[in-house]
Amino acid sequence: MSAVTPLKSTGAGTRRSRSQQAQIMRLLPRPLLVVILAVLLAFVLIPVVYILLASVNSDIAVARGDFWPTAFTMENYSKIWTTVALGRGLANSVIVAGGVALVCAFLAVATAYVLVRFQFRGRLTFLRGLLALQSIPGTLLLLPVFVLFSSFATVTGVQVIGTRWGLFITYLTFALPFSTWVMVTYLRGLPRELEEAARIDGASSWRILTRIVVPLSWPGIVVSGIFAFLLGWNDVLFASIMTNPDSRTAAVALQVFGATQEGGAIPVYGQMMAAALVCALPVVVLYLIFQRYLVGGLTAGGVK
Amino acid sequence: MVMTTPTVGERAAAPTGDLRPQPKPPRRRGLTTRGRPLWMLLPGGVLMGLVIVVPLLLGVFIALLDLDQYTLRAWLTAPFIGVQNFVEALTDSPLLSSIGISASFALIVTAVTLPIGVTAAIATQNAFRGRAVIRSIFLIPYVLPAFVVATVWRTILQPSGIANNVLSGFGIDGGLWLNGPKSYWALVFVAIWSSWPFIYLLALSGLQSVDTEVHEAAAIDGALWWAKLRYVIFPYLKGPISLAIIISILHAINNFTLPFVLFGVPTPSNVQVMPVLTYIASFQSFRFGLSAAMAIVSLVIVAIPLFVYLRAVRLDSGDEKVLTETEAAE
Repeated sequence: MSAVTPLKSTGAGTRRSRSQQAQIMRLLPRPLLVVILAVLLAFVLIPVVYILLASVNSDIAVARGDFWPTAFTMENYSKIWTTVALGRGLANSVIVAGGVALVCAFLAVATAYVLVRFQFRGRLTFLRGLLALQSIPGTLLLLPVFVLFSSFATVTGVQVIGTRWGLFITYLTFALPFSTWVMVTYLRGLPRELEEAARIDGASSWRILTRIVVPLSWPGIVVSGIFAFLLGWNDVLFASIMTNPDSRTAAVALQVFGATQEGGAIPVYGQMMAAALVCALPVVVLYLIFQRYLVGGLTAGGVK
Repeated sequence: MVMTTPTVGERAAAPTGDLRPQPKPPRRRGLTTRGRPLWMLLPGGVLMGLVIVVPLLLGVFIALLDLDQYTLRAWLTAPFIGVQNFVEALTDSPLLSSIGISASFALIVTAVTLPIGVTAAIATQNAFRGRAVIRSIFLIPYVLPAFVVATVWRTILQPSGIANNVLSGFGIDGGLWLNGPKSYWALVFVAIWSSWPFIYLLALSGLQSVDTEVHEAAAIDGALWWAKLRYVIFPYLKGPISLAIIISILHAINNFTLPFVLFGVPTPSNVQVMPVLTYIASFQSFRFGLSAAMAIVSLVIVAIPLFVYLRAVRLDSGDEKVLTETEAAE
């Protein structure tokens, strides 16, 4: 493990100048490095810059493929709210995905707490099940969930499909395995001494969870909440089937721009780019704020 | 071991932002059976049971029924037709060609994103001014929601759009990208654009596990850069890269949003990947039983890389230290 030899490495580090150290760590010759970075940056940034430019360009100019706008206009950003009910879509997305994030993070920490700290029959099966459930593709579950929900409506008279509740329950459940997994790995790293002390003092499990475990595990809770939020925000599969014009999310509302035409035959491409950026904004902001927590989680494993 | 339990603050400051705590030596002492609050498992357990496990079983049942839009309301009494849906899916439906499209799509995307991601990781391993900004930029395609990425590329690739404008500047007639034979390559390209940063991230975390001493030893030996890469650095990347390959294949095979939004339904037949085919069979053709059978066949196909993944994670990434540890305890 890297933690075992601190003496040698720090000693070498101080004796050598920084540039020498950089020279040793170098993996590529400088000219090659510059070329690679330039190519990759162009690959990523050209489309991104194009979106930004197209969003302030007229629909017609985007439709005929202009790169540089003839006249910069913010008109698209004001028109998108009336062309399609994008505002309602965004509100629905915020409500559903935000609600899912809150509830999911809390359920995940409670479930993970029991899984990490207590021994019971089926514990191992439960842990393995989390990994397996997380890997089931959504397309496999779409139809059966749809059938279940519509049967639920027939039996109880309570309509779930077409409401935000249907999406909420679906996203919440699909986010749970991964969020719980994140919390399981997080809680394992927390010292138990505090919990043990509290238990000796006679605190109940609920009290220990809410007063000790939750306050200590905010970074993990934030990550599992954000992943749950992203699952809800980014979903198209379930939202395209289980919503109506009133309950549809931003992801579905954005698709409506593709089917909307202006003055005859020109699709509203400029507005579509502006709307796409607006839909991406919350995700980008979340990412920028929590970048350092999220990157580890991104690689930690979402199969979906 | 000298390792101490990392505190919350330390973890937050870790350069990779890696949330996974360091694996600790097994301690049976921590697992207690006293005062178990098992009821806390209920909400999550019940939800996962009702909305994942039950639908999974229901899906298997539906696959055995002749279920369409007329029989859907009373699906319990729909005619039971055994394996006929499976027979139809395999012999008289586009399923087999969809499996082929999905598999080749996943393999091509992974094969192309792999060198891009690894190269990017190697290029940003060295500290230089502006590296943090470049790293953030590299992650943009991955951070953008898939439906946004697909919408944007749909606009870029439309027949009179910017892509064809640029191509015609080079004297190339782009033609149709979202229809006809070239749509497959449009899908591959957009998938590559949006998914390479994932490989990049995994390769980067692999590079960060290379100790300074290893670099020093290579420098003392006077290794040239490519020799150092080939014989010193690449062996360190084996683990993370094998994991990245499997996850990348799974991502690509299960990707529904990208083809669905990029082409709309019904999609051109040469981009009708498995998830889209299943979706169309259900909600365009209303052949619910057939669709469920297709979904199950798809799951069986996906189960191959999935199984490899589950084994790999267990042995490799520390994620599964939890499981191996519990196994030791039980």
